[in-house]
Amino acid sequence: MSFSGPWKESFVSLKIDPPFVDKVLTRFIREELNKHGFKKGILGLSGGLDSAVCACLAARALGPRNVLGLIMPYGDSFSADVRDAEKWGHFLGIRTQTIDIAPQVDAYFAAQPTQSRILRGNKMARERMSILYDYSAREKALILGTSNKTELLIGYGTIHGDMASGVNPLGDLYKTQVRELARYLGVPASILRKAPTAGLWSGQTDEQELGLTYSEIDEILENLVEKRRTLPDIVKDGFKPSIVRRIALMIRNSEFKRKLPPIAKLSTRSVGHDFLYPYDWGK
Amino acid sequence: MKVALAQIAPRLGDIDRNLEIHLEFIEKARREKADLIVFPELSLTGYTLKDLAGDVALDPRTDPRFKKILERTKGLSVVLGFMEESAADKGLFYNAAAFLTGGKILHVHRKVYLPTNGLFEEAKFFAQGRDFRVFPTPFGRAGLMICRDFLHYGASYVLFAGGADMIIVISAAPGRGVARGDGFETSRMWELMGETVSYFSTAFVFYVNRVGIEDGVSFAGGSFIYSPAGHLLARAAYLDPEFLVHRLDFTAVREARTKWLFKRDEKPDVILRSLERVVRVPED
Repeated sequence: MSFSGPWKESFVSLKIDPPFVDKVLTRFIREELNKHGFKKGILGLSGGLDSAVCACLAARALGPRNVLGLIMPYGDSFSADVRDAEKWGHFLGIRTQTIDIAPQVDAYFAAQPTQSRILRGNKMARERMSILYDYSAREKALILGTSNKTELLIGYGTIHGDMASGVNPLGDLYKTQVRELARYLGVPASILRKAPTAGLWSGQTDEQELGLTYSEIDEILENLVEKRRTLPDIVKDGFKPSIVRRIALMIRNSEFKRKLPPIAKLSTRSVGHDFLYPYDWGK
Repeated sequence: MKVALAQIAPRLGDIDRNLEIHLEFIEKARREKADLIVFPELSLTGYTLKDLAGDVALDPRTDPRFKKILERTKGLSVVLGFMEESAADKGLFYNAAAFLTGGKILHVHRKVYLPTNGLFEEAKFFAQGRDFRVFPTPFGRAGLMICRDFLHYGASYVLFAGGADMIIVISAAPGRGVARGDGFETSRMWELMGETVSYFSTAFVFYVNRVGIEDGVSFAGGSFIYSPAGHLLARAAYLDPEFLVHRLDFTAVREARTKWLFKRDEKPDVILRSLERVVRVPED
């Protein structure tokens, strides 16, 4: 038996209609900010794909002058990314500001030395977060998150670092879908073709570190998450069992990054358990 | 007759580990020469399943892990909790309790009252059972209930009217309220119902609640046995795991029923007619 045509299941669910997604997300950004009394949005601009797409959506939703992109390199180790971020910000007409995080990061690690690139990378992500929150208050601007669905699901992000935000327009788009949306939004090739990096250290790329390409990861995630298929079923399609197992384990082991910490229940009305109100309460 | 209450803390979403715990406690019960061991609600899977429900659901008639438990029920009956997905109802996940004995499944009860309020989300993920039934066991007639079922006294009434000598309740009741003393305030609610139902049904009530913490919620423990005369025969610790073995004398059922004639004088036909009217009223 063979399947063909538009209904072939395995190709259906990762397809997006970029103009429609653009419509939904710009409305989401505009409405969420309005409801919570913000006119302005702020985000970290890394020079990578996710923040480029988020900045573009924000510019369209709020007007470019109401968007502030903070470019926060560590010294001059990511100068090509800084240039890409500045150029894209300029093209969109949003405000940008560059803050070098090296002094504060170096001051910390001078006192608390480490050889671990992961520790250093996480610290940098959290320094960027603390600057974003400081500027959020200075500018009365809400922080727009740039974590995509792939990262959220496999836990490829720093908790309370790049995962922290006020609202997240990209959290339900897989990396490959963000790329598709980026093409539609006219994100330049220099950003589109760049190897995705968490910027944890110079020369690091996500796909190298994960040992898989994003399209491979997304295809497995689609099977596990969207289609709720079991591991043995997915393996029958020809995926390597060790890889599918590894991704399933990454999802499982990163649930803590996607939740608020559990509160020990004592009373009959506990925050998070049975004191439950909508996020948009009264807005 | 000897009954063992296994007040355990299952591991969330890990059937293999929980299977080991079950087999270990079944062996313990056998060494204690118990006739029946009762595990808490969803003992094979843990409680706060959410989207895991479908992943841990199994068909007790065919599942090889379930078979491992069934094989160990010769001369020792087992009541346990699991997520049921039967071949006939694919895609429907029931919060279920099974009574096993002599390598056979005597009865499967599917939870009828699925709490879906406050911290509870059962009806969001589970399908709803539709029946309460009394069935014969090697030591008298039994009825099964799962947690919230027991707080709706009509359910106990059906088992009483159906002739149950023992009402077995398996539970995963979280504790709430800390102003009471050595246990959560909500523990009193279960004990009150245990006392009342045992007394007025002139039947044993075995209530087995779990312990442990899932996502910040502490399960209260405090499993208990009430006699057909409404006496508390044994109670396990609040909060901590316990393996409680208690010897019972089933002549207590006869004694209670000759002292208080609730069972003899019960009129299920009158109740049924009256209930039919209650149910019809909105249409009148």
